[in-house]
Amino acid sequence: MPATMLADGGTNLQLASRTYDVDGIAAVQELYHSNGWTDGLPIVPPTAEAVAACLEWAMMPPDQLIGIEPVRGLAVTAEKLAINAVMAGCLPMHFPVVITAWTAMMREEFLMHGATASTGGCAVLVVMNGPIRRELGAAGTFNALGNSDRATAVIGRALRLCLINLMDVRPGAIDRSTLGHPGKFSFCVAEDEEDSSWLPLAEQRGIPKEASAVTVMAAGAPRQIMNEWTTKPEEILETFAAEMRANLRHYSIHPGNYALIIPKQLREHLQAAGWSKTDVAAFIHERARIHRREWATVGKGAVVRDRGDSVYPAMDSPDQLLVVAAGGPAGGFGAVIPPWLGNKSHAVTLAIGACVDCEPPKG
Amino acid sequence: MTFQVLDPTPETAPAAGRLAPRLPSLEGRTIGFISNGKEGTKGFFRHLDRMLREDHGVARVVSRTKSNYSAPADAPIVAEIRQWDAVISGIGD
Repeated sequence: MPATMLADGGTNLQLASRTYDVDGIAAVQELYHSNGWTDGLPIVPPTAEAVAACLEWAMMPPDQLIGIEPVRGLAVTAEKLAINAVMAGCLPMHFPVVITAWTAMMREEFLMHGATASTGGCAVLVVMNGPIRRELGAAGTFNALGNSDRATAVIGRALRLCLINLMDVRPGAIDRSTLGHPGKFSFCVAEDEEDSSWLPLAEQRGIPKEASAVTVMAAGAPRQIMNEWTTKPEEILETFAAEMRANLRHYSIHPGNYALIIPKQLREHLQAAGWSKTDVAAFIHERARIHRREWATVGKGAVVRDRGDSVYPAMDSPDQLLVVAAGGPAGGFGAVIPPWLGNKSHAVTLAIGACVDCEPPKG
Repeated sequence: MTFQVLDPTPETAPAAGRLAPRLPSLEGRTIGFISNGKEGTKGFFRHLDRMLREDHGVARVVSRTKSNYSAPADAPIVAEIRQWDAVISGIGD
């Protein structure tokens, strides 16, 4: 039944989406699953009331244009984002993060279409920074890359449902992933800013300290490392660099944004020695590189050709490394999160709720 | 309990591209290939090139390769399409 309807609660928000009257929660699930509108997990019924609450929290009218996907020209409104956010389990307070992350994903340099359609099967990694993490209870400690908390779980899931429903990024449709990885259900991490002396990622990437922000990156699955047998920064970081060299050999030689997730135990050694994120990135940039001839050692001799001496760095420059303080307090672990396919997609950082069109304060 | 729930999709189909009018014959025509540059395109387009020339009398085959196989064709390639009678776009996966 196509309908224009008024949301309850005296909001008078006019929602334009088609509505379905469904008898019971089980029938709601079957409706959404049978239409291909889910990620396979149950959804929260997106009622007009719940969707209107999200829009009101973000102070957006339903028909607010969030953006137009640059490759296929698909327009996305706030109402449609909100419906998918509610389905993912978002509360209204989570919605501004979803809007900002989605806006970042629609930037041309992110190449949303290529990254989400590719056989390479990447996910969208979201890193949250700033005060909003604490307001939402987003936790960057225990199990940081897994099911650490409600906020990161539902925000990451909302983006996947938006891709599925708004961009037709369904397996076998636009999503042509050969394998994909579990981060495609949800892949959102909050940086542990309280327990780190490092600059938060967003601040490192030019966002004012007081602002909350998200960074999105087209990301492969995390590759976990362990080194509990040293306190020397060079040795700790050599383990990370070695994992990146492995990725260059085994997966892709293209340089681009890599993320390093550095939990407290290893982070404290680096910080005690006075190493900043910039120092970490400079060291990694020097060490994470291979000769093309190394491909011959992993069964890829056919593509070495006459360029065996060519050197391939993991990043074009140190600032392509996204260093994130996150993880539980114990364990000499860390993770390298490789790019989908090098510079074909660039990580994007945006402040949450910043008005880019506002005039500067007068006087 | 009855729920009134909302459609999470765009509901309107995106503007679809239209196929160009079919050519009555390929004889003497210029055909453009746009490859995404992946390994699998090489043999495919090589074979297709020979088929079009030898079996269908195509006069000229112009081969172009995108600079980024995950992004739309580069503007100069798109501009060149006007000079061709037909175009075949292929991916190598």
